[in-house]
Amino acid sequence: MVHTASLVNFSGHQHLRHRLVLAILTGKHIRIDKIRSEDKNPGLRDFEISLLRLLEKITNGTIIEISVTGTAILLKPGIIFGGVLQHDCPKSRSIGYFLEPIIMLAPFAKRPVQLTLKGITTDEHDLSADLLRTVTLPHLQLFGISNGLELRIKKRGAPPEGGGEVQFLCPIVKQLKTLNFVDPGKVKRIRGIAHAVRVNPQFSNRMIEASRSILNRYIPDIYLYSDVYKGDESGKSPGYALSLLAESTTSVIHCAEAVSEPGVAPEDIGLKATRQLLAEVNKGGCVDRKHQILVIMFMVLGSEDVGRCRMGEPTPRTIQFLRDVQTFFGTSFKIVADSSLPGCSQLLYSCYGTGYVNANRTLA
Amino acid sequence: MDDRPHKAHRPAQSGAKAEKKNKGKGKEKQHGFNEKAFAPKSGRRADRQGRRNVERDQTRLHVPLVNRTPDDEPPPVIIAIVGPPGVGKTTLLKSLVRRYTKQILNDVKGPVTVVSGKKRRLTFIECNNDLNSMIDIGKIADLVLLMIDGSFGFEMETFEFLNILQSHGFPKVIGILSHLDLIKKAATLRSTKKALKKRFWTEIYQGAKLFYLSGVLNGRYPDTEIMNLSRFISVMKFRPLVFRNSHPYLLADRLEDLTPRELVRTSKGKCDRTVTVYGYVRGTNLRQGHKVYIPGVGDLDMQSIAVLGDPCPLPNENSEKKRKLSEKKKLLIHAPMSDVGGVMYDKDAVWVNVPGSFTRGNKDVPQGEGEQMVMDLQDVNNTLEDAVAKSQIRLFGTSSKTLTVEDDKGSISGEKSDDEEYNDEEDEEDEEDGEDEEDEEDEEDEEEEVDEDNDDDDGDIPRDARNTGRTTHRKIMRTVPSSSKKEREDVEYADSDSDFGEDDVDEEDRRVRFSGEDQDQDIPSDEEAEAISEGEEGESIPKWKLNLSERAQKSTSLSRKARVKDWTKLIYSTNLTPEEIVGDKKEDDLKEGDNMEMDEDDFFQIKKTSSDNAEELDMSNDPVDPEELKKWEDEDMLESIRHLFITGGDVDAEQGDGGLNEQGVDADVDENESNEDGNVPKPSSSDPESARAAALAARKEALKRKFDEQYDDPESSKLDFYTEKKDEMARQLALNRAEFEGVDAESRAIVEGYRPGSYVRIELANVPAELIENFDPTYPIIVGGLLSTEERFGYIQVRIKRHRWYTKTLKTNDPLIFSLGWRRFQTIPIYSLDDHSIRMRMLKYTPEHMHCYATFYGPVSLPNTGFCAFNSLSGDTPGFRVTATGVVLDIDRSVKIVKKLKLTGVPYKIFKNTAFVRDMFSSALEVAKFEGANIRTVSGIRGQVKKALPKPDGAFRATFEDKVLMSDIIFLRAWYSIQPRKFYNPVTSLLLSNKADWTGMRLTGQIRRDEGIKTPLDVNSTYKRIERAPRRFNPLIVPKKLQASLPYASKPKLMKPQQNQTYLQKRAVVMEPEEKKAVALLQQIRALRKDQMVRRKEKKVEKKAERQKKLAKEEERKGEKEKERRKDAMRAAGQKSKREADMEDGRGRSKRRKT
Repeated sequence: MVHTASLVNFSGHQHLRHRLVLAILTGKHIRIDKIRSEDKNPGLRDFEISLLRLLEKITNGTIIEISVTGTAILLKPGIIFGGVLQHDCPKSRSIGYFLEPIIMLAPFAKRPVQLTLKGITTDEHDLSADLLRTVTLPHLQLFGISNGLELRIKKRGAPPEGGGEVQFLCPIVKQLKTLNFVDPGKVKRIRGIAHAVRVNPQFSNRMIEASRSILNRYIPDIYLYSDVYKGDESGKSPGYALSLLAESTTSVIHCAEAVSEPGVAPEDIGLKATRQLLAEVNKGGCVDRKHQILVIMFMVLGSEDVGRCRMGEPTPRTIQFLRDVQTFFGTSFKIVADSSLPGCSQLLYSCYGTGYVNANRTLA
Repeated sequence: MDDRPHKAHRPAQSGAKAEKKNKGKGKEKQHGFNEKAFAPKSGRRADRQGRRNVERDQTRLHVPLVNRTPDDEPPPVIIAIVGPPGVGKTTLLKSLVRRYTKQILNDVKGPVTVVSGKKRRLTFIECNNDLNSMIDIGKIADLVLLMIDGSFGFEMETFEFLNILQSHGFPKVIGILSHLDLIKKAATLRSTKKALKKRFWTEIYQGAKLFYLSGVLNGRYPDTEIMNLSRFISVMKFRPLVFRNSHPYLLADRLEDLTPRELVRTSKGKCDRTVTVYGYVRGTNLRQGHKVYIPGVGDLDMQSIAVLGDPCPLPNENSEKKRKLSEKKKLLIHAPMSDVGGVMYDKDAVWVNVPGSFTRGNKDVPQGEGEQMVMDLQDVNNTLEDAVAKSQIRLFGTSSKTLTVEDDKGSISGEKSDDEEYNDEEDEEDEEDGEDEEDEEDEEDEEEEVDEDNDDDDGDIPRDARNTGRTTHRKIMRTVPSSSKKEREDVEYADSDSDFGEDDVDEEDRRVRFSGEDQDQDIPSDEEAEAISEGEEGESIPKWKLNLSERAQKSTSLSRKARVKDWTKLIYSTNLTPEEIVGDKKEDDLKEGDNMEMDEDDFFQIKKTSSDNAEELDMSNDPVDPEELKKWEDEDMLESIRHLFITGGDVDAEQGDGGLNEQGVDADVDENESNEDGNVPKPSSSDPESARAAALAARKEALKRKFDEQYDDPESSKLDFYTEKKDEMARQLALNRAEFEGVDAESRAIVEGYRPGSYVRIELANVPAELIENFDPTYPIIVGGLLSTEERFGYIQVRIKRHRWYTKTLKTNDPLIFSLGWRRFQTIPIYSLDDHSIRMRMLKYTPEHMHCYATFYGPVSLPNTGFCAFNSLSGDTPGFRVTATGVVLDIDRSVKIVKKLKLTGVPYKIFKNTAFVRDMFSSALEVAKFEGANIRTVSGIRGQVKKALPKPDGAFRATFEDKVLMSDIIFLRAWYSIQPRKFYNPVTSLLLSNKADWTGMRLTGQIRRDEGIKTPLDVNSTYKRIERAPRRFNPLIVPKKLQASLPYASKPKLMKPQQNQTYLQKRAVVMEPEEKKAVALLQQIRALRKDQMVRRKEKKVEKKAERQKKLAKEEERKGEKEKERRKDAMRAAGQKSKREADMEDGRGRSKRRKT
């Protein structure tokens, strides 16, 4: 018998991150072709190359083959190793782009991950370091990943020059807990972090004021911090942002963020973030749109039981992810409208976990 | 004194004495448990007793394990009957089968499934004496009936099997002693039983159940003994085993080759086959898309899985009612490879066993189903083609229903003609398969078949070229109606229709709804477009703002009410891009998509990304639509979501959010309860007031319950860890069951896989032809599901210990056969030991009585999986075959095992503390690599490699802490890393015609022995005498000048040997006469003494010889006796074996001690 791990084929540059993550977790070989083959500037971008490098660093025995034109890659995943790592992210994407796949992999490493990432901490495309710390990591706690889970923002770095630094610490687990999260509860507190680097520190206060003008009407438990970084810790470029999160009685977290734009007053940034938050809260569900993929991923990896979660409608990314999960794991979700609430746009996602066990973990 | 025999004592039967005795007995019985006797005498004792009870309680507790097997319809319990040949396994199986089904099997092959009770079915399987079978059986058996020959005792295979069990999770074991009738003396019998029981208990656990079976009556064991055994089996409880609780598996009870005959013929039987296996799913849910491993064959891909009707169903209410009508049904037995009811299925023939002489007209001989059927077949006059031509056909005379064919298809003859012969065959086989079931079912099958045919014809589904005849028909055999392929298609059509209907509704709604994400994809309806355009124009008071809140509310409520998309279907079974799914596609587009997915085998394909969105970023923040955010500037809109905050209260409860509110509050009270509440579908709140009242009442009830609980017994709400965990598991299992209760079987199988307990048919592709060619039903075929990690390969580090009964040591780089997970494979391990946690140091041999590590290349298994290893699996291996046992520790893609490497060199020039060393390296480059390395002389002087010297090659300068000598040997201790060889050789025993003689890679020595090749002898490796020249020291020379200045004590006292004769040498000695006499006398005395000693010695030798002679004589006598004794023993053994042989011949069965 010839033993070759099964090869999964994809095409297109989109959804690269979660496809790579799925391949590494299942150990299936993956081949992605037609990466921007029609583009003026064909092939992989610098940040994608950098991501591949990072994945190579965090694993042992991974073989990555990139075609001469850069429009096709072949990844033969090794095992997730972890340990103390450092990576310089390119200035084209923020740290969130790199950290999101790492968060999905890190709990299944051989050694606890201690990753230092350098680059841009906040931009408009990806989850900022603040949201990753305050929103994404609490989502991991739902699955029993809690002890020693931390994200330290050492330095902030705004685009375009960056210069920020974060440290991500993640413990390893044997198996994830099964999620049963159907009760959204009610919003009980709102927190926020406003930061301004290399600009007038008053900017953050102005954002907070604007935001409070809307939020104060709902609940009294609102704390919006202004986070101050000075000197070397404030990166190389000026910028400011406000990230908000609303936590419910059942610790559902909805979040929103707005980043400084040229020619826009900080008040408007504050209002924009606040309105996004309200829109997110209005959409409801137990998991906000930005974290659907993360939660679905960990639901699939749970023990061989039924996991349930109430979420809003899937985003296009989520839909593609669900399809990719089926290709890799053979697991599909049952998605039904919530029958307990007549007339509600929220959906109940339930799946049968694959019983994924961290095989990389060393015994004794 | 007197030789009269003593009278035996006779106890009094009546009278005072007897009464007294009886009274005593009765009293004891009456009282039963005497409380006083066990009451503690003192407080301290009571305390101790209490503590002991608590401790004993704790020992009862085990780590709670989830049982993945459903309770309502569990798969049959696998009962393996294991033992050496000739011990009575088949007899026991037949006896047990007869006990449960009242049927006598003559030729037992493969698993036999019977119904044993309301909730239990049993699968019996006999394990042959091959070690491969024992390994496989040990991995799947729930209960092992371990048979031991009472008249012989334990055999090596028994212990080997127990060791295999131990390393793969220990199932329940019941020992059974047979052949006890061969022991005639009662005392011997008793002592034998006792000895065997003691040994058995040490092997399993103290108090393990051991059964005794006496002789064989009518080819079976006595009914009472079998009944007792079956009772023990029926009450047996099984604890889930960790490995089986995480892997799906099935024991194939049937195997069929689906390869087109033509292909087999053209390739002369060498082509890879498509094979279906049938069996009950066990362990966890079996899912499509996973790989399976068949031990003895290899990794295989599952092409399809289909649930079939249970061939041996548990009794339910309906069947119980039926049972009274036909007694036949009570005794269900499913054994496709054995001869149930006198019918036996061979690979390509069916054999009917007819008792006595058989003639066709003979009505005296009872005719079984099989005979009847064959006779019916013989009676068929017309060919099927003729029969089809008629509108109604009766296949057999006994068929109660006729087959009906709609006559409108006359034009299909071309297609049909090549199907025809298959159909013939098909029908035949169908009959065979359906035999053990009742007739009705058979006919249903046939009907279905015909239906299927018609469907195939008029519904123009493109037929797969390979899929002719056999394959298509096979699929629907014994299928649960809902899961047959035809049905599936129907369902799909129906579903998509309803889909369209829903989308129609959707379409209408969108006229009122407006959400930003929809606008950019859809063609906005007139009103909406107007609104937008106006909004853009009139900047001062945007019109869309006017009645914003009402519209918002309306939109939300409407979207909640009527927007029901079947997300599962949209995502998994259409070709729409994610963007199209989110922004509702038009109906016709959807239809198109649905049509596209008709080739449903691979309905899930990646849509090619069009080039126009090449610059779209892979980002997790969705782009914000400023338009959508604008609506939050409105005060009413802001107010409308107040109910989502805790301060919102119940004000908005009427707006269809009653359930939500209630849940939110409940969550504070009790999370679990609220979850349960969430499961219960709310009655549609037609009357919001009543709904609210009901919700309030429910809340009050919950609070009251909670209060009562806490008030009555505050302790009870606090559970200990164990019960808490168990409750948690029970809750999860209940949820697992409840979640997919209402879902239809088809989609349920997609989401959760095939549950344990369902009877499935798995189609396997690319199966080696040898499996079919050399199929032997007495060897179990196990289909073990693999986890995704287990398909990979890597280096596996295990903790290993050589078995104490295995006599040789294990050597690094010698091949070893592992049984790990489902797999059996040969690989090459490297043994190592942790060296002070600094490095893994290679070991040449495994240590005695100690664990060590072994690292080898092979398929990955999860850490904590047990394994056992063998050097050889063949039956003729002398001694104990289990070589080592252990557990998996770690999995990696690289290994770091080192062995010590000592480089030696010699100084060729010595300065003070510096020396030039040569002969250690061969080039300057090598030296450069080792710069700074620590070196040492044999005498213990430490030093360092400094720098390479230009000449000679490989010489270097080194510094030492002291001056070294020219005679010193200098060495460098280094570590050389080694990699295990990438060798993986699966044990493919099932592919051989003689399954017992699988041989893997042999050792070099073995090959040389087999081939008769001499070991090559290297001249340099031979051992020679080492000649060491005596060391010559030069004389110490102290310069004269120095000598002169030394003090006298330190001056070398060197003197020349005396040259001239001494005084005494110069003189001659002349003795006096007396002196001469004395000397002479002394000489004489000495001579005499010498003579005496010689004579004494001679005498001693003589005596010794005599004694030797005597001893030899005695030895001879003793030897004779020993010879006699041995002769006797051999005679007895010979008689025994002869008797056994006779007995076996008598029973018409094979091979005792044949292997």
